[in-house]
Amino acid sequence: MVMEIENGKVLKTTITPGAQLTARKGSMLYYRGDVRFVPHSMGGGGAMPGFGAMAGAAGRMMQGEHVALMTVEGQGESYFGHDGLYIDIVQLDGANQLTVEASRLLAYEGYLQTAIVPLTQQGGMRGAVRGAVTGQGMFTTQLSGQGSVAVLSHGGTFSLEVGPGHPEVVVDPQAYVGHRGPITVDLTAKVGFRDVVGKGSGEATQLKFTGQGTVWVQASEQKF
Amino acid sequence: MSIQILDPSTLPTNDNLPGNSYAFCVDLDGTPWFTSKGAMIAYYGTVQFEPLSRTSVTGMVASQFSSPLYADDWVIAQGRGKLILGDRGFDINSFDLDEGNLTIRASSLLAFEPGLSLKQSIVPGFLTLLGTGKFLASSNGPVMFAEPPLRVDPQALVGWADTPAPSHHFDAEWMSSFLSAAAGFFGMDSGEERQFDFTGTGTVLIQSSEKVLDDTHMFRHVESQTASLSQVSLQQLHRSIGARLQQ
Amino acid sequence: MAQLRMTGHRVLVADLRGETIRAVTGSMVAYEGDVTFKNAGMGGGDGFKAAFKRKMTGESLSFMEVTGHGSVHFAVDAQHITLVQLENDTMSVEASQLLAIDGQVRMDVKFSGLRGATSGQGLFTTTVSGTGTIALLSAGGPLIALGVTPQTPLVADPDAFVAFQGQLNQSFVTDVTWRSAVGGGSGEAFSLRFDGHGVVYIQPEER
Repeated sequence: MVMEIENGKVLKTTITPGAQLTARKGSMLYYRGDVRFVPHSMGGGGAMPGFGAMAGAAGRMMQGEHVALMTVEGQGESYFGHDGLYIDIVQLDGANQLTVEASRLLAYEGYLQTAIVPLTQQGGMRGAVRGAVTGQGMFTTQLSGQGSVAVLSHGGTFSLEVGPGHPEVVVDPQAYVGHRGPITVDLTAKVGFRDVVGKGSGEATQLKFTGQGTVWVQASEQKF
Repeated sequence: MSIQILDPSTLPTNDNLPGNSYAFCVDLDGTPWFTSKGAMIAYYGTVQFEPLSRTSVTGMVASQFSSPLYADDWVIAQGRGKLILGDRGFDINSFDLDEGNLTIRASSLLAFEPGLSLKQSIVPGFLTLLGTGKFLASSNGPVMFAEPPLRVDPQALVGWADTPAPSHHFDAEWMSSFLSAAAGFFGMDSGEERQFDFTGTGTVLIQSSEKVLDDTHMFRHVESQTASLSQVSLQQLHRSIGARLQQ
Repeated sequence: MAQLRMTGHRVLVADLRGETIRAVTGSMVAYEGDVTFKNAGMGGGDGFKAAFKRKMTGESLSFMEVTGHGSVHFAVDAQHITLVQLENDTMSVEASQLLAIDGQVRMDVKFSGLRGATSGQGLFTTTVSGTGTIALLSAGGPLIALGVTPQTPLVADPDAFVAFQGQLNQSFVTDVTWRSAVGGGSGEAFSLRFDGHGVVYIQPEER
């Protein structure tokens, strides 16, 4: 299974028997060969065990997170794109997980494990606030394993490293695309931010990243 | 770091501006061009623009342009100068037809030389160009050229050249899975169930987006078709549109 | 002056070592280091009179002052960014297309003549003057610079107009045959004509 960028806004994939691809429903542009598209349930890997009492609430919260997916299988070539958005391919090496919002996922190799996780491990109010701030639901998608993931952004992304020499990186929540590696994401409410918030969004909080890994940011302060 | 300043002597002749796939320069050199209104963002020179209905070259219009539905969108540019075109931030490319036959989405066609004649296609929202000459088309993202056999999402389709018209293909697997997943998890639309199937030889032009941003041409076509509906059918249509708007 | 560079065509990076750069509010997408963001006074920060003019004219330009030690990334709506140098010069620029200014540059608002009542852009234009670097935004693709001379005047769609520089006379012409009156925006009831000596900047997409 091969994933490559055909042009900035189009993903080319080679589908082979036994190697499935999961893609965003409706994003197929064209294909050749004997390729089949099968709708499947939201979430891919299923919910994490141990959600317990949160599961009920999670079901309701996830309404906004719902992005329909489909399985792509068979033999041939298939081209994907969504809404003229730019595409970047992120490689997972098995050691580090990718955290990215479901609505930014275009396609990923089918054998990667996905989990819906709360935005912050502490959960509770802070997580909910961060969710409200970033416009993301209370939950986000985490992918693990080894393989390729195609991610959508408005205008393309640039990456920033977090780690030695770059202890702390701050990102506008609307411009945040995803991150990979053991990174802690937190809210920051810098003094004076309230004054410089643009376009009447009313939000003064930003996302602060510490730890070790890579953060992807898009070239736009509007989500899509 | 300093931007190149262009002028009539350095602007390209019938080509994209240097380093800019979103802007194009047409060289007007005595021969008129059909240009779509709204595609031009600036021009140099002595140029007259005439609507098709009130042009000085009615003969040419009568023979080369036969699409009353879209006539208002076009003007004839005459004179000498450089026309700069840009369209919604879409990629613009020029293509040459040589005794050819191309059907293209109406909202993607920006300009063409009068060696080509334009007709309205029976496929809603599309136009057919015949003959020899240059034309300009816009697309969301670069145009991909592919040869049949292939299947394409109807909204990603820009056009097709020298190849038989496509037929509908309904993905049987998708349809049966959909029907069995009748828990109502999915909406009736926006799946991969409807595709256009191309066979034979020729070229298919495909863009990078499956979303149509401007469907005024499709709307006009559909609206003109409702003229032939009976009272009963109109009421049914009214109900189904109402239901669609509620979604 | 701050060190300015580009990452790709749509992201401007300012590497600050104590300097201050002014950028349109809300355009920061990421930063690292010890950086502060402050509202530049009553929008634009060039004196009460300029700010008052802005309020009166509805020019929606709200700038912030960014200062400190670190790297700051700026972007607006995935638009292309172009850096233009100003050398003791003046540039007239469409308010919505100005991203950042650096150096000894003043911002002001000038009356630019009577326009159609339908114009959402009002009767005023923003001018920047002095010596420094201007970061301009262009929607739909890279900024296009077109030279104007007495022998080669230019006519342009006001919705594609970004800025102009030089000894130019901007006038309003009523021929809009070549422009669409429907779809994709209201369209102005006039076109812009430029005569003289200078440069006009336009963008591939109509606002």
